Amino acid sequence: MRNRIHVLRAEKEWTQARLAEEIGVSRQAIVAIENGKYDPALPLAFKIARAFGKTIEEVFLWENPPVQKNTPWRKET
Amino acid sequence: MHEVQTSGRRSGAPLFWTVALVATVIDAVSKFLLEHMEVAPPVRIAAALLPLPGNIALMVLILRAIRRLDEFQQRIQLEAVAFGFLATAIAVFVYGYLQKALATGPLRPWLVYLFMAVTYGIGYLAAARRYR
Repeated sequence: MRNRIHVLRAEKEWTQARLAEEIGVSRQAIVAIENGKYDPALPLAFKIARAFGKTIEEVFLWENPPVQKNTPWRKET
Repeated sequence: MHEVQTSGRRSGAPLFWTVALVATVIDAVSKFLLEHMEVAPPVRIAAALLPLPGNIALMVLILRAIRRLDEFQQRIQLEAVAFGFLATAIAVFVYGYLQKALATGPLRPWLVYLFMAVTYGIGYLAAARRYR
């Protein structure tokens, strides 16, 4: 899973330590999430997104999501 | 143990080290009583069980500290503890067979604790490095 945390942090001129403080986690956690080494659970993902005033989809990008067979918007081939 | 406040609660580090110190003193007293005093069997049993409350208190404090960590640090701790536990289990297993082969002497408990602490440390460093 990719994310835009680095860009969003830069926009707000926040350090990793500042973001960690905002959402109440360790800086180590922010480093791992930002580098794509660790995918946060939903509550933490929500906290990160809300810290930037964004939705989860605006912060986290899931590359190559699996397409479900019964998905109504799936394009038939 | 690396501790981070995530919920606004105060650090439990001073309490932990105080209890650890008291538990160590009680442990030393218990060891002294058992090794150097000629006392009745019920007193010996009581002396042997003397360190138990302090050690249980330490265990509770460590579990509380782990619950205070954020989810990422809990993951690191899980990997470190799993590595330490499994490596120690394998080492004790192998040691048992070496004993049967008469290649080693009796297993000393402090050696097991030391091995567990070292493998926990290795597991912690490996996990922290993996997510860097």
